[in-house]
Amino acid sequence: MFKQERIYTYDGSLDGLFCVVFRAFEDKVSPSAIIPRKAGYQVPLGEILPVDTVSSNAQRVWKKIIDRSDQKNARKISVAFLSERPETDMLLWRYLNKLFTHPYGDYYKNMLDEDVYEITQTARRVRMEVHRFQGFVRFQRTRDDIYAAAIDPDNDIVQLLAPHFKGRFSDRRWLIYDTRRKYGIFYDMQQISIVALDDDSFSLTSGNIRQNARAVDEDYYRTLWQHYYDAINIKERKNDRQMRSFMPVRYWKYLPEKDR
Amino acid sequence: MKDKVLRKLNILADAAKYDVSCSSSGSSRASKGGLGNAKSAGICHSFTEDGRCISLLKILYTNHCIYDCAYCVNRRSNDRPRATFTPAELAELTVSFYRRNFIEGLFLSSGVLRNPDYTMEQLNTVVRKLRNEHRFNGYVHMKSIPGADPLLVREAGLLADRLSVNIEIPSELQLKRLAPEKDFASVYDPMNLISREMLASKEERRKYRNAPRFVPAGQSTQLIVGASPDKDYSILKLASGFYDEQKIKRVYYSGFMPVNEYDNRLPVLTAPPLRRENRLYQADWLMRFYHFRYDEILDEQHPDLEPSIDPKLAYALRNPHLYPVDLNKATHEEILRVPGIGVRSAKIIVANRRFGKITMTHLKRMGVALNRAKYFILCGELLTGTKTLYPEQIRRRLAGKKDMAGKQLSLFEAAGTDLNQDKPSSLING
Ligand code: SF4
Repeated sequence: MFKQERIYTYDGSLDGLFCVVFRAFEDKVSPSAIIPRKAGYQVPLGEILPVDTVSSNAQRVWKKIIDRSDQKNARKISVAFLSERPETDMLLWRYLNKLFTHPYGDYYKNMLDEDVYEITQTARRVRMEVHRFQGFVRFQRTRDDIYAAAIDPDNDIVQLLAPHFKGRFSDRRWLIYDTRRKYGIFYDMQQISIVALDDDSFSLTSGNIRQNARAVDEDYYRTLWQHYYDAINIKERKNDRQMRSFMPVRYWKYLPEKDR
Repeated sequence: MKDKVLRKLNILADAAKYDVSCSSSGSSRASKGGLGNAKSAGICHSFTEDGRCISLLKILYTNHCIYDCAYCVNRRSNDRPRATFTPAELAELTVSFYRRNFIEGLFLSSGVLRNPDYTMEQLNTVVRKLRNEHRFNGYVHMKSIPGADPLLVREAGLLADRLSVNIEIPSELQLKRLAPEKDFASVYDPMNLISREMLASKEERRKYRNAPRFVPAGQSTQLIVGASPDKDYSILKLASGFYDEQKIKRVYYSGFMPVNEYDNRLPVLTAPPLRRENRLYQADWLMRFYHFRYDEILDEQHPDLEPSIDPKLAYALRNPHLYPVDLNKATHEEILRVPGIGVRSAKIIVANRRFGKITMTHLKRMGVALNRAKYFILCGELLTGTKTLYPEQIRRRLAGKKDMAGKQLSLFEAAGTDLNQDKPSSLING
């Protein structure tokens, strides 16, 4: 059905990607690459079509996904989209193409299909990172009693952390900030909002907030935690490889017990 | 004051580290407007240098002890620094760690100070403070102090998410030899009390939705491997009994750390038996998630797990008549028994056969350990060669190879890994 090939660019949002899918179907063109227009993006040679995000078109794709599968599967797609593994956009395209054109009603469940399997795995990996960060977030108290944390995850997951931390710390204001993607979520004891901060709010080497913004006790609790981390270790059982596989080195920089 | 707490933390965390049962899964407790909640999938907040998950603040109330158990660093005849928290200090420490997201909750154990009742009462006071004064709804695992009054144990069960009574030594004879003040009754009585109360509370809650919950995350126990001459077969038999009868959620196996070398009742070890400990966890895993009975894994003739191959592989090699398993036809149960195939893969295979033939490509993609599985399966066009290989040849090829099962296992042990401890198919924790 698809004859020509074309490179599509979009604004980097899930709605934007859905609009690419919408457009490709309309044009009967199979994308040879799908590229988000983020800072410093590069586009290979070929016929290029920038797609604007039109929310009614995105809505139609969303509705079609739910028609052809179910809410849970639609959720899975939106989670997989947050993956920053290369080629995720093309994988999503191939997957949606199959979902919309395959005659079987439940093809989306067919784990023998490579793309179906890969989408499932991709969503699984993103959720695994969310699960990891439910543990790896480290709050520091500020002078005005906000609990603030810096994170730098592989995937764009900060928003997926919101329900967990809202359920757990509903009686204080808190902030979780992605220092690489430069945005975060802030909870004011009523609701959660997306925020952007000045670049020097957190140290990019330790994740610490500025000394003059830290509550006076903060260093003490950090020390207690570091001592606890050392005391609980059993030297005779040292297993560095296992520790690193559960807690990869790239996550250490914002963990007080590892960043010393 | 701050220095005092730091010193106590150092001593009492160090003294608590040998208790391995530090997981936080299996409870869910809503926040109710106070601080915190408990998640049914355990969350690891960090990992120690020895590769274990840090989920809870694992700490002793005191490391003073009136008893003298041979295998314990805190026994009264050891000359080492001792410390005791006040309930207020410990409750505040827990909350300050929790608010910073260092921990999932508290795992509170203790040496026996003055007498068991007094000690249990102190532990209850800590948790009462947490629950009432700090309105703390996070996870709490308490040790039930052997010999404490049933009323105090009952109160603990209403405060905590999980209670544990450690059996420590797998046979009564050996237990009495190494810990003269203890016997099996001192372990089984509180265990049975806890399982009865759990049942009663479930029953109550069916009638009245607001009836109090008794240890919603169940009870666990730990036993030390290698401090006594007990065989793996009797260990698995004991564990299997705990799962069936006391409805214990988890049995933890802790390789004996060579401590108290001066005590000649203890074996002379240069290092903890980590390999054996790992094999026991694998066997335990087979009982809990692969529907093996303990006497299928070992028997009187084979009383010990083989160090060089994992227990599922050992089972397959002892039962060649059950293989090869045709993945396109076999039942879920049969597929679960194939070495190298995990719970998740078995489920995917069975659920997706209606879409087409399962081939090696699919298995590879799912992460099946083909180096082991290939000897035991028929898969699409592929006849994998079992016909020409005898169990002894397979054993020779696979013995000592790093096995995925071990890796998978530790994965789940950690993530929480125990991501979802009780359902290994769901992603961990990876
Ligand atoms: S009662 Fe517990 S703390 Fe005391 S010596 Fe025995 S094992 Fe150690």
